[in-house]
Amino acid sequence: MNSCQHAEKIVDYRLNQLTEEEKAVFEAHLKSCEICQHELQVEMAIENELSAELDPGFIENRIKARLQLRQARDVRSFWLYAFRMAVYGVTATIVSMILLPVLLKFPLSSVLDLSKYSSGLAGLLGQLAPFNAFVVIFGFCYIAVFFASMYTLTQIRR
Amino acid sequence: MESRLADVGHLIQSARDGDERAMTELITIHKGLVFTIILRMTNDYHTSQDLTQETFIKVFMNIRKVKNAEHFKPWMCTIARNVVRDYFRKVKRKRTVSFEEIKELHGHSNIEITRKRVIIQDAMAKLSEKDRMLLTLTYYQGLSLGEVARVMKMSENNIKVCVHRARKRLRKYLEGYEHELLSTC
Repeated sequence: MNSCQHAEKIVDYRLNQLTEEEKAVFEAHLKSCEICQHELQVEMAIENELSAELDPGFIENRIKARLQLRQARDVRSFWLYAFRMAVYGVTATIVSMILLPVLLKFPLSSVLDLSKYSSGLAGLLGQLAPFNAFVVIFGFCYIAVFFASMYTLTQIRR
Repeated sequence: MESRLADVGHLIQSARDGDERAMTELITIHKGLVFTIILRMTNDYHTSQDLTQETFIKVFMNIRKVKNAEHFKPWMCTIARNVVRDYFRKVKRKRTVSFEEIKELHGHSNIEITRKRVIIQDAMAKLSEKDRMLLTLTYYQGLSLGEVARVMKMSENNIKVCVHRARKRLRKYLEGYEHELLSTC
């Protein structure tokens, strides 16, 4: 079929995007143009098909059952995670209890000169010995790991 | 319109508190919209049923995030879109819908109507994911332009331009099928 320059406006016309004036001009043209009438019919056929709402059938109960399963699984994985974290915590404490006395006897500061790293911190906390500064840094790291774990737990719970 | 929104607002509130009847009601109201979007995107009846269920599960697991009933529908459509995207990321394939599937879905014994639907679905399948989503949301009567813009994360003016282009592309893919499209009109 031959084309018509007004056929470009059919989409805008169907989407109500023409001004009142443009709409009136197009409708007047439509009455006498077979090409545009045909194009309009095709557009309406497409529109008619795509505007149809399709029915998935009765899925309500299946969704609720799957939702309950998913929630139960999430709660279970939360407690599994909590249990795992508790095991890590206990292990870390035991390892620390073994390591700390060893460190007390052979502080890392005697092997590595931590004084230059801890001088800034020592300035803030008073004149701490390098070994004490090491304990403070170690403690901060431990607390950071603890809070990171707690934060992860709350995220999973949510 | 406002009373319907208020109803949906109450249902959302009750669903948040775990009211199963409210959940059922919300599913019944919106399942057609979600399923239509997903089926137009995937072209697979059984996959669409499954992804519709997945969408509602995600909706109810995150329903606390909905602050305003007005935003519920676009938010749900966005979840449906993301669920479909995840699915495509996994399967990496597009399929064309069969004559039998369309017949089963619409329950039409009229061969001409079924054929028309197959032609349109096949033409839709040739469009990009964005174009298909745009056309599905725009043609669907229950969504305003503002809601479509919210789902697509575009401005309303941009939506108008893109819809215009998408419709033209769809029309191009349907060239030569005019007789079939008009056969039952």
